[in-house]
Amino acid sequence: MTATEPVVEPWGPTPDGLDGPYWDGLRVDELRLQRCNECSTWIWGPQAICGHCHSFDLGWETVEPSGTVYSWNRSWYPYMDEYADRLPYVTVLVELPQADGRRVLGILADDVETNPEIGDRVVGVFEHSEGAPWPLLRWRRAATAEGEKG
Amino acid sequence: MSANIMRGAAAVVGVAEQHYKRGEAPHSEKRMTLEVILQACADAGISPREIDGFVSYAGGANDGAIVGGALLIDELRWSNMMWGGGGGSVAAAITNAATAIATGQADCVVVYRAMSQADTGRLGYAKYHYGSHFLAHGIGSPAQICAMRTQRMLEHGGVPRTAMRSLVLASYQHAQSNPTAQGYGRPLDEEAYENSRLIAEPFHLFDCSRESDGAVALVLVSAERAKTLRSDPAYLLAGAQGAPGGYSELIDNDLGEQYMSAGFGPANNGKPGVAERLWSAAGLGPDDVDVVQVYENFSGPAVAALIDHGLCPPGEAAGTFMTVENLTAPNGKLPLNTSGGNLADSFINGLNLAVEAVRQIRGTSTNPVDGAKTSLFIGGPMAPLVSSVLFGHEETL
Ligand SMILES: [Zn+2]
Repeated sequence: MTATEPVVEPWGPTPDGLDGPYWDGLRVDELRLQRCNECSTWIWGPQAICGHCHSFDLGWETVEPSGTVYSWNRSWYPYMDEYADRLPYVTVLVELPQADGRRVLGILADDVETNPEIGDRVVGVFEHSEGAPWPLLRWRRAATAEGEKG
Repeated sequence: MSANIMRGAAAVVGVAEQHYKRGEAPHSEKRMTLEVILQACADAGISPREIDGFVSYAGGANDGAIVGGALLIDELRWSNMMWGGGGGSVAAAITNAATAIATGQADCVVVYRAMSQADTGRLGYAKYHYGSHFLAHGIGSPAQICAMRTQRMLEHGGVPRTAMRSLVLASYQHAQSNPTAQGYGRPLDEEAYENSRLIAEPFHLFDCSRESDGAVALVLVSAERAKTLRSDPAYLLAGAQGAPGGYSELIDNDLGEQYMSAGFGPANNGKPGVAERLWSAAGLGPDDVDVVQVYENFSGPAVAALIDHGLCPPGEAAGTFMTVENLTAPNGKLPLNTSGGNLADSFINGLNLAVEAVRQIRGTSTNPVDGAKTSLFIGGPMAPLVSSVLFGHEETL
């Protein structure tokens, strides 16, 4: 299993604070996504306005961190200094059926050699690394996670 | 509306480009910009003082007032910069110039782009273009985002990876007859392609474009004027730009099948989108295209762009169509990137491809497509804003 080292820069809330609840949620092991208080549409990435009804009255809701792989990529080139020492790594785009199919990104935290397949079930894990200013949401294949539980 | 004041109203009459290995530009971006503008004016047979409009693509510090001031032009009437990096608005910059001419806002407009590692760093962008919801997950480069979109096109859309490979191999084959291409004298075969190192799967090394220093300029004037300047102007038959609303800007939450497209497809309300608007404005369709220069920062988005434009079938059939034979000049069904393109020639943020598109109308490409009357230039697939321009020979008017 590939270690998921702490990362320090440059992530965390955007300067406008729009996505603060997302990052705060990670601290208490919750995946929170934006949702329109007027029309109930799920919204991601973080927006100031609901694109559907144009309400500015947006809230946040906790979503079960499980979904399916919508697409994926394995990075081999050190595009980012912060991840250069853990190449290669797989990033998955995870579709969340319980949030009307909104998709969130995340690193697949295990088994970097096996290709994920679109449609694979994955579950989120909240990674709290010592010294890291913010936790991160990582993903594991559902079978792997269940195996570990058993 | 059937009347289209843009069609054939303006033409490219002068082109120039220079490129160097990344980091090896002998001059600043400003000096290179001035040099290529002078060269393009000489190519057109006009005085640089006559330039009254400037359109720069995707940034750069040297706007029209600066460049025009340096050239001591007679009067500045049009100075625009097209938003949209990633090559997306590169064809739109040419449409912008033609719009100025067609509407009488300016008479002689130059479209330009210069890039120098020494001046503005890698691609002239900030270290990280993306926000924390990408960066936190190891995504800090367009390559990785395009790779994920491409992966879905392959795995879910059923497009065989050989479609990408053929596009790359055709580009390298073309570069072998272009002495100024960076890939000249460095032929690429299937084995070398397949064995090249992985960058961002599914992209191997050769799926990714080169980065160069250099500059490009194109001079546009009215069709009337163009006829007096040269026998082979490249008329702008149509240009279109845009993308479905939200395309690629919502942290990979763009709608449905748009995700694996290149962004030229139908709008969210089902209305036609960039590619269809281009065809309808030109009064031509994909079957009428003789030769294509498609922006390929990476091979996958370029394949998606061809599919979006109806030039290549979607799904499994893309593999049958996208063969090296079909994609190479002079006899392929859809010769593309005939100078070697961004992959095997040079990469001045893709504007160099527009010069090659014009050369095909003139018949001066190093890989000329016999009797090419229409020449398509597709900008920046999978960028937030995309664009394309169709050039035509006088006979197409
Ligand atoms: Zn709403």
